[in-house]
Amino acid sequence: MANLTWNTRAPQSAQQDSPPARRVRGRRPGSGGSRARQERWWGLALISPFLLIFAAFTAYPLVYALELSFSDWHGAGVLRWVGWSNYSYLLTNGDFWASLGNTGVMWLLIVPVQTLGAVAVASLLTRSRLRFKKTLRTVVILPYVTPLAAMAQAFVLLFDDHFGAVDRVLTALGGPNIGWLTTTTWAKPAIALFVIWKTSGFALIIMLAAVQGITPEVYEAASLDGAGPVRTFFSVTVPLVRPAVGFFVVISTLGISQMFLEPFMITQGGPYNSSTTSGMYLYNHIRASDLGTGAANSFLLVVLVLLLSLAAVRVLRSRED
Amino acid sequence: MSSNSSEHRSAADQPVAGPSRRSLLRVLGAAGVGAAAVGALSACAPGSSAAPKALGSVAPSQAKGSTTLWFKDDDILKVFRGVVPSFTKKYPAVTVNLVGVDIDKKLAPALISGAGVPDGAYLGDGSVLGQAEHLTDLTSQMAKYRADTVQYKLDVNTDGQRLVGIPWDTDPGLLYYREDILSAAKVDPTQLTSYDALLDAAREIKGRNPKAQPIPLEQDPDLAMQWLMMLVNQQQGTGMVDSAGKLTIDTDAFRTALTWIKKVADEGLGARSKFASTAQIAQADGGTVSLVPWAIWYNFLVQGTFKKSVGHWRAAQLPAWTTGGARSGVMGGSSFVIPAKAANPDLAWLFYEHAVYSAEGYQAVFGSNSVYPNGLNTALPSVKSALNPQNSLFKPLAGLGNENLWEVGTQASLAIPPGYRIPTWFNQADAYLGANLQKLMDGKMSVDAVIKQSVSAIQTNLVDRA
Repeated sequence: MANLTWNTRAPQSAQQDSPPARRVRGRRPGSGGSRARQERWWGLALISPFLLIFAAFTAYPLVYALELSFSDWHGAGVLRWVGWSNYSYLLTNGDFWASLGNTGVMWLLIVPVQTLGAVAVASLLTRSRLRFKKTLRTVVILPYVTPLAAMAQAFVLLFDDHFGAVDRVLTALGGPNIGWLTTTTWAKPAIALFVIWKTSGFALIIMLAAVQGITPEVYEAASLDGAGPVRTFFSVTVPLVRPAVGFFVVISTLGISQMFLEPFMITQGGPYNSSTTSGMYLYNHIRASDLGTGAANSFLLVVLVLLLSLAAVRVLRSRED
Repeated sequence: MSSNSSEHRSAADQPVAGPSRRSLLRVLGAAGVGAAAVGALSACAPGSSAAPKALGSVAPSQAKGSTTLWFKDDDILKVFRGVVPSFTKKYPAVTVNLVGVDIDKKLAPALISGAGVPDGAYLGDGSVLGQAEHLTDLTSQMAKYRADTVQYKLDVNTDGQRLVGIPWDTDPGLLYYREDILSAAKVDPTQLTSYDALLDAAREIKGRNPKAQPIPLEQDPDLAMQWLMMLVNQQQGTGMVDSAGKLTIDTDAFRTALTWIKKVADEGLGARSKFASTAQIAQADGGTVSLVPWAIWYNFLVQGTFKKSVGHWRAAQLPAWTTGGARSGVMGGSSFVIPAKAANPDLAWLFYEHAVYSAEGYQAVFGSNSVYPNGLNTALPSVKSALNPQNSLFKPLAGLGNENLWEVGTQASLAIPPGYRIPTWFNQADAYLGANLQKLMDGKMSVDAVIKQSVSAIQTNLVDRA
C-alpha cells in the first residue's frame, strides 16, 4: 500500500519553484534583509496570541505537572521535593496495576468487537440493498450524539438487578438474574457494552467513509471470482479499510486509556474497585488532593499510551508493507 | 482473490490516509500534554498567602459593612435566608449576601489562591480539617459556647489545638422501623434495645416472610463506611482514627460491628441496595426492608419518596451494643468555616453566631419556615440548649404516624459519644475499608480479613502519605 501520510509539506523542488512570499509594498530593491526581519517580527506578532495561550495553558501546566510529579503537595502548604518517590509508589502499588489491568480488559472487550462490528455495519449500510438505509444510519449514530449522562442513567435503570428491564426479560425467559453492575464478573462487560452502545456511531462514521471509498469494481471482481458475502467481507472489505481501522484503534486506545466518565457514572469503579480504570484511579488521587501522585500517574499513563499506540501503528504498518 | 490484490490496494489507498509516525507522535504529544495537565489542576504557586485579617478586631456594636457567605445551592441556602431579617434587625449596618455555590469544587481553589475568598462558608464536617490551615482559628470566639455545644461537633472541627469550624447540625443515628410489620411478627419495638434483639427481630420477620430482608446493607462503599462509623462511634467514640491520628480500626468495636453485619448478611437478613435508589425505595416501601438503623435523615425517604408505607414508619433510639451502652452514633453533619483570608471575618462570625447560637436563629432554621412549613427535620442543632426534648422546633411527621421525632432525635443528638475524628483522607478510605466492607456484606471476606487488609492499605496509602 502506498505510504500515504498526513504530511502535506510540498516537495523541496516545488518549494523552490513556488512564487516568493508576499512583497512588501513600497520597499526599494536591495532592502531584503530589513524586509525579512520585519516580516519575521510581523509573523511573531501575529502568532503571539497563540504562543501566549499555549504557554499559559499548555506549556506551563505541563512543566508544572512534571515538577509536581516529583513533589509531595496536597493543594496547600509547602511543596516538598520527593524525587522518584511518587513513581516508585505507583509502580509498586497493586491498585495502580489493577487499574491498568481493568483498562486493558476494557480495551479487549471494546475495541475488537466495536471495530469489526463497525466495518460490518458500514459494509451492510453501504453495499446491501437494505431499505431505509439513511434511517438506519441515523439510528446507529444517534447514541453518539446523545448526552452521556442521560444514556448512563438509562443504562443503569435497564441493567439494575432488582428492577431492570434486562433482568426482567432474562428471568421471564428462564434465565438467571444477573448483577450486571454489582458483581465483579459482569461490571466490566456491562461498562464495555455501554461504551460500545455509546460510541459505535463514531466508529461507524469512520468506517462508512472508508467502505464508501472502495470502488464497486473491486466487489464485482470478487464476485466474478466466486467470493460469497462473508469471504468478500473478510478478504476484500476488511483489508481495504485497514488504514481506517488503524486510525480507529489508535483513537480508541487513547480514549480507553483515559476512560473515566463511563465507570464513574455506572459503577463508580465498583464493586470492590473491579471497574476502576486508570482514568478513575488518577482521578482518585486528584480527589484526595494528592496532586504529586496524580501528576506522576498522568505521566506514566502518557508513556504507556504512547508506547501502546506506537506498537499498534507499527503492527498495522508492518502488515501494510 | 490474490490476482486482484493490486486493484484492491490502489482502490483503497485513495480515500483513506493512515497516520505517519511523526504525525502520530504529534497527536499523542498534544494528548499527553492534555492528560498531564490534569495533574496540575491548580496553576497557582503553593504556599502563597496574604496577611490574614484578625478576627475580633471589630466590636459587635461597631459592626458595619457587607459580608459574603457561601452555601450549597440548595434548600439549606433558602432556609438560612430566613435568618437574615432577624440578623439585620440586630445589626442594621451589616448587609448579608448569602450565595449559592458549588462549595466542594470552588472553596478549596479560592482558599489556596486567595482569589474570590468568601467571608464564610458552609462545609461538610468531613471536609473541614482538610482545609484547616486556610481557616480562621475560632477558639477564642467559641470559648463561651463550648459548654453549650455537642462535644463530638467540637471534636470534628478541632485541628490540633485550633477550633476551625462553627458546628451547625448533628446527624444522629436512629432506628427506623415499620410498626405494621413488627406488629404482625409480634415484635415489641420497645424491646429493640440491643443489636442482638434487632437481629432476633429480623429473624422473626423473615420467619413469617421468607422474602423479607429487613435490614438494609448499603451498597455504596462510601455511605456504607459512614454507616459502619456510626456503629463504631457508638462503642468507642472514635471512628477510624483517634485524636492523635492513629488508626483505631483493629479494635473490639470494629470487630463487634463487622461480626454483626456479617451475621445479617450470612443469614439473608440484609437487603443490598444503594441509599435512595429505586431499588431501595421499592424494598422499603414494599415491606422487604423494615428495620433501618440509619441517620436521622432517612426520614427524607419516608417523607419524600415512600407511598404505600407512609404512616407505618416509626423512629426510636438506636439499639445499644452493650447493656447501658450509648444508643446513638454519628452519621453526617456540617459546620461553618471562616477563611483565614476573609475580608470581613468579624461580620461572618456575627452572622453564624446569630444563626447557630441565638434562639431566633435556630428557630428560623429548624422551625416552621417558608421552605419547610413543618420545620427542617432531617437534621438537628448542635446547640445543647436548643436540643430540649420538650421544646420542639419542628412538627411531628405524618410519615412517622405523627410521632414526635423531635423528642427521639434530640435525645439521640445529646447522646452521641464524644471523641469522633474525621481524617482528611476519610473519603479515600472507601477504596479500602469501603470496598472490603462490601466484600464482607457479599460474603466474600471475613471480619479479620477486612480489618487486617484495611489497616494495612489505609496505613500505607493514606496515613503514611497524608
